[in-house]
Amino acid sequence: MIKDITIGQFFPGDSLIHKLDARAKIVVLLLFIVALFTCRNFFSLGLLFLMSIISVLISKISFSVVLKGLKAIIFLVCFTAVLQIFYNDSGEILWKPFSDKDFAITTGGVFSALFITIRIVSLILSSSLLTYTTSPTMLTEAIERLLSPLTYLKVNVHSLSMMMTIALRFIPTLIEEINIIMSAQKARGADLETGSLMQRAKALVPIFVPLFVSSFRRAYELAFAMECRCYTGAGKRTRMKKMQFALRDYLMLVFIIILTASVIYLSYFAQSTLFIFEKVI
Amino acid sequence: MAVLEVKNISFGYSHGTPFEITALKNVSFSLEKGELVGVIGHTGSGKSTLMQMLNSLLKPESGEILLDGKNINADKKSVKEARHKVGLCFQYPEYQLFEETCFKDISFGPKNMGLSEEEIRQRVYTAAEIVGLQKELLDKSPFDLSGGQKRRCAIAGVIAMLPEVLILDEPTAGLDPVGRAGVLEMIDNYRRQTGATVIIVTHSMDIVASIADRILVMNKGELAFNGSVSDIFTHSRELVRMGLDVPVATKIMLALRNKGLEISSDIYTLEDAAKELCFFLAKEGKI
Ligand SMILES: Nc1ncnc2c1ncn2[C@@H]1O[C@H](COP(=O)(O)OP(=O)(O)OP(=O)(O)O)[C@@H](O)[C@H]1O
Ligand SMILES: [Mg+2]
Repeated sequence: MIKDITIGQFFPGDSLIHKLDARAKIVVLLLFIVALFTCRNFFSLGLLFLMSIISVLISKISFSVVLKGLKAIIFLVCFTAVLQIFYNDSGEILWKPFSDKDFAITTGGVFSALFITIRIVSLILSSSLLTYTTSPTMLTEAIERLLSPLTYLKVNVHSLSMMMTIALRFIPTLIEEINIIMSAQKARGADLETGSLMQRAKALVPIFVPLFVSSFRRAYELAFAMECRCYTGAGKRTRMKKMQFALRDYLMLVFIIILTASVIYLSYFAQSTLFIFEKVI
Repeated sequence: MAVLEVKNISFGYSHGTPFEITALKNVSFSLEKGELVGVIGHTGSGKSTLMQMLNSLLKPESGEILLDGKNINADKKSVKEARHKVGLCFQYPEYQLFEETCFKDISFGPKNMGLSEEEIRQRVYTAAEIVGLQKELLDKSPFDLSGGQKRRCAIAGVIAMLPEVLILDEPTAGLDPVGRAGVLEMIDNYRRQTGATVIIVTHSMDIVASIADRILVMNKGELAFNGSVSDIFTHSRELVRMGLDVPVATKIMLALRNKGLEISSDIYTLEDAAKELCFFLAKEGKI
C-alpha cells in the first residue's frame, strides 16, 4: 500500500526531459496547467492530452510506473466523472430513469464527464512527469531561484527552500521507517487490517508514536549536524553547480508560450464553427 | 522432528520497477528444537529478508516454510499462528517502543495473543526477569531508559510472547561489551527456561563462534554454508571472499602457526585459545 506511492519519486535517466533545466520544466508545467484549465473544446484538450503522452514517451519512464501513479487517483477521477454526468443537463436526453422527475443523463453530461476525466489524467501525467524526471535537489533549487524575487518582499526564500529540500529528502526515509515499524508491530501480533474503524485507528498508535519519536530525534540530530558545520541561513551562498539555460530550454519555453496562447485564443476568441464538440464547458 | 523447515524459497523486492532485486534464491534448511543457530553474511546478503519470511511478514515467491510440519502461509489462521510461535525481534528494536510504561509495552504482544489479564501480568514479569530488567523500571516510560535498558525492554516485548522460535536480528548492534554480554546472557536464559529454538543474526564472528550450535552463511541471497562452527571456519578463504572473517581467536592461532608454533588452529573462542596456548607452553616446558 505505502510502496505504491510513486508520485514524487525520481527516476534517473538521460532523456531530453531529464536534461531540461528544472526552472524551465516548472514554468512549462505551470503554463501547461493554465492551458489545460482554460481550454474549452475537445480539439485543444486532445492536443494537450497528446502532448502529455508524447512527453511521457520521450522521458522513457516505463508505462507501468506511470499507470501505477494514475491508479492512485482512479477514485477521484471516477467520482468527478459521475458527478459531471448528473450535474450537466444540456444537450439531448439519453436516459431518463424517473419519468416524473426532470433528472436525466444527457449528451452534455457525458461529454463533460469525458472532458473532466481527460483533463485530470493529463494534469496528473504532466505534473508527475516533473518529479519523475527531476531530482529533488534540482527541483527545490529551481523553486528557490524562481521565487528569489520575493526576497525583496523580505520573504526568506532560502530558508523555505532548505525546509523543502529537507522534507523531500526525508520522505523515502520515513516511508522505509514506517514499513519497518509496521513489520515489527505485526511481528508482535498487531492486527492492522481487520476490525472496526475505531479499532483500526487505535491500531495505528503503535505505528505513529515510534514514528514521531524518531522523526524528532532525526530533526535534532540533523539540526546539530548542520550547526556543527556552521550552517546559517543568512548570507549569500554560492552554488557548486550553476543552473544554466541551454538552447533547448529557450525553445521549450517559446513552444509552450505559443501553445498556451493558441489554446486560450481557440477557447475564447475563435469562431466556433471549426470544431465539432464546441464549448462543452 | 524439525521445528521449522524452509524448502527452496526465493524472493525479490520491487518487481516490475527499475529497482528490481533478487534477495533470496533457493534457500533450504531446517531447524531442530532447542538449537541455537547463528546466521552470518555480508551486508545485503538477505539475512533480514530471510528472517522476515520465517514469521510470514514476507511471503516467498516460490517454495514453502513449514512450522511444526504445517505451511505457515496456507491461510490467515496459519499466518497468525506463525506470528505467535515465531518471535522476531528487529534490528534496533528500541525504536519501536511506544507505550507509556515498559509494563504496557511488554504486554503488547501477549495482549494481541488474546491472553487473560493474569496470564499477561505473569508473562511480563517472566520476560522482564529473563532480560534482566529491574522491576521498578517496569512502571517508568520506556523513553526515559538508557539505551541498553531500552533494548532489554524491547526484547522482553518479544520474549513475553514465549515464542517457540526466537529470532533476533543483530541484537548486539550498537551495544558496549557489557551490553553485548547481557544480550547473550538473556538469550541463554530464555533457552534454558523454555527449551526454545533461537536464531541470532550477527556480524560478529566471535559471537557465533562462542554460542552457536550451528551456523548458516548467507551470500548474495543464497545459503552458502550450513554446518557446525568448526565446519564453517575451516572455510576461512571462502569466507573472506564473501566479505566475512574468522573469529579473532582463530586469527591469532593461525598467525602463531605461521610463525612455526605447533598448535592447532581449530580454535574459535578466546577461552579455547588460552587453554591451547597454556597446553603448548606446558609441553615446551616454559611454564
Ligand atoms: N524494503 C526493501 N525494498 C527493496 N529492496 C530491499 C528492501 N529490503 C531489503 N532490500 C534489498 O534486499 C537485499 C537483501 O537485504 P537484507 O536487508 O535482507 O540484507 P541483510 O543481509 O539483512 O543486510 P544487513 O547485514 O546490512 O542487515 C539487499 O540488496 C537490499 O538492498
Ligand atoms: Mg539486516
